[in-house]
Amino acid sequence: MAASEAVARKPPRGRRPSDGVVGARRGTFWALLLPVVAFLAVFLVLPLVMMAALSTRADLRGPLLEPWAPTLKHYVSLAETPSYLRLLLTSAGIAVLVAALTTLLAYPLAYFLALRAGSRAALLLILLLVPFWTSYLLRVMAWKLMLGEEGVINSILMGTGLVDQPLSALLYNRFSVTVTLVYVWIPFAALPIMAALQRVDPAVLDAASDLYASPRQQFRHVTLPLSMPGVIGAFFLVFIPTVGEYVTPLMVGGTSGTMYGNVIQDFFTKAANWPFGSMLSVVMLVATIAVAILALRAVDIRRFVEP
Amino acid sequence: MGDSRSRPGMRLPVGLVLVALVVGACAGAGASSPPVESAPPSAAGATAPTTPSPSEVPPDQVTGELTVLDWAGYDDPLYWQDFKDAYPNANVGFEFGGSDGDIYGKMKAGDQADVFHPYTGWIQFYVDEGIAQEIDTSKLKNWDKVPEDFKKVGQFNGKQYCVPFDWGFTSVLYNTEKVTTPIDSWAALMDPAYRGHISMWDDGPGAVTVSSYIHGYDETNISPEQLATIKQEWIDQAKLNKAYWVGEPDLVSMFQSGDATVAYSWQGAYATLLGAGVPVAYADPKEGRNSWVGVYCIRKDTENLDLALKFIDEKLGEKTGNNLVSNFYYGHANQDVMNGITDETLRKAFSIDDPTILQKTNFTPNLTADQRDAWTAMWNEVKASQ
Repeated sequence: MAASEAVARKPPRGRRPSDGVVGARRGTFWALLLPVVAFLAVFLVLPLVMMAALSTRADLRGPLLEPWAPTLKHYVSLAETPSYLRLLLTSAGIAVLVAALTTLLAYPLAYFLALRAGSRAALLLILLLVPFWTSYLLRVMAWKLMLGEEGVINSILMGTGLVDQPLSALLYNRFSVTVTLVYVWIPFAALPIMAALQRVDPAVLDAASDLYASPRQQFRHVTLPLSMPGVIGAFFLVFIPTVGEYVTPLMVGGTSGTMYGNVIQDFFTKAANWPFGSMLSVVMLVATIAVAILALRAVDIRRFVEP
Repeated sequence: MGDSRSRPGMRLPVGLVLVALVVGACAGAGASSPPVESAPPSAAGATAPTTPSPSEVPPDQVTGELTVLDWAGYDDPLYWQDFKDAYPNANVGFEFGGSDGDIYGKMKAGDQADVFHPYTGWIQFYVDEGIAQEIDTSKLKNWDKVPEDFKKVGQFNGKQYCVPFDWGFTSVLYNTEKVTTPIDSWAALMDPAYRGHISMWDDGPGAVTVSSYIHGYDETNISPEQLATIKQEWIDQAKLNKAYWVGEPDLVSMFQSGDATVAYSWQGAYATLLGAGVPVAYADPKEGRNSWVGVYCIRKDTENLDLALKFIDEKLGEKTGNNLVSNFYYGHANQDVMNGITDETLRKAFSIDDPTILQKTNFTPNLTADQRDAWTAMWNEVKASQ
């Protein structure tokens, strides 16, 4: 009798005792979310939409905001100019190389900070980040001093007699662009990996060694898979901005180190042709998003996180 | 799984990490261009604004804020010395453009600079698009000292839109220690003998000019076939080119570090390198040097018209002119300054006291909008073909 009565007695319709809490939560949800959404809509989505719209303008002549007849002639012209698409591919290739090298070099750093540094981790992390406090341009210029024909490296090589002519292949090419970008990105890349490694429960590592796993096996079968989300995060953190990078190639890239971002910059400044530059930017944006989505689908992160 | 809270000792560093990321991101993002305020330019076709009557405020009580969009290096007070001395309480702020296209793009986007500094080839665009306003030359006390040829550079449809300031040459600069035979032709910029040590200016119209001199093309009338030849020529040249230079300071540092020994150059870099002790020579190519004039224009609808006129007037002053000539070896539009130069090297090497010099050199013609779009696009394709 008691059980069936309990089942039969449904709660009254209309407001329930828990409604007040749920309603308040929903209100809080929107109150917290709306400012951020509005900010992103105005400062991220709107400019991108404006840029896509500008890519349909024929050229930059006449008053800037006067309505124009949309045209796809820039996109057609891109299809007819293989050199721009080739450059995009090359820049993406450089970006993949930079991201891979950076992640590879940042991993030991993050591993040490998260799992081996112990009480000194905080201090060492601050030391890792001190270069951040210098201007980005100065850090790039420093590489000019290192790699130039009369720079630090060449002076050492000439001084010790290892070479009798200074190496001119160190600066103003793709090599110098890659080296400089890796240097600039390593502290950034170490952080997500470190965050992932900190989430690894030390008890799991103890369990692994209790089950007779050697340190190398421990790393390969336990630590590395568990830190994979951080590694993948670090890779994309470096890859996506590097595709459109233009400051570093401008300073140390020379003629052969030109990247796609430099061409976009030129169309926006020297060539005074914003519509063409906008078209190039839209193409790069769409391509990068497509690549990122495909890559993330291919690498199923859940495989690493769940047991 | 176990306790996954972050260890307490890491909270402070993690907080610092977030701060550092934000700071680092801002620093990286704000790498080059100075901020530009966006306000759409007013509609074209307005008449010249009625100028206010000359102010009767004594010079040392003239105040105000003037913004000047100029090239790197010209913000040094040496190059507006007369204005600084005459109006010590007026403030001048500088914005920078890296090239004529850059300055044009900024002014089109609504940059609120009161005064800007374009060069020959690009001046007409500002007049056509209603960005520059007519200048009342009766308010410029130094106007009579400017030779006729130079005055004409800033004249369109019989009206004076811009005031000339500096002028000079473009030629081939080379390091005499590393280049043993003197250079006598523009073709040196494409010579495989200097592979890996050439530096060309990063500019499409500049590249078309050089090719026109080498092949004898008519710069004002380049056909699509000629443009295709020019494009291929510069794609081949890019393999010999070390790096393109954007501003004179880049060029100077490349010569100082030995990365460049032959370059397309203005004589400002020549003067600076000589002063720094680098053994360089400025060629006199058989095809002739190129010459150009820089002008100052006033933005239409500026609220600081009076101050802008004073600034431009004082730019033609003697102290400013003398600094320009002695530091950069550039010519100055004030003929009195030029006649007063005593340095024989300067007088001979650059004929800078000759007021008819513009008629004797390859003076840069005005670009049309079609040429601008086609030639800059050509150049970007050259750069993308690496």
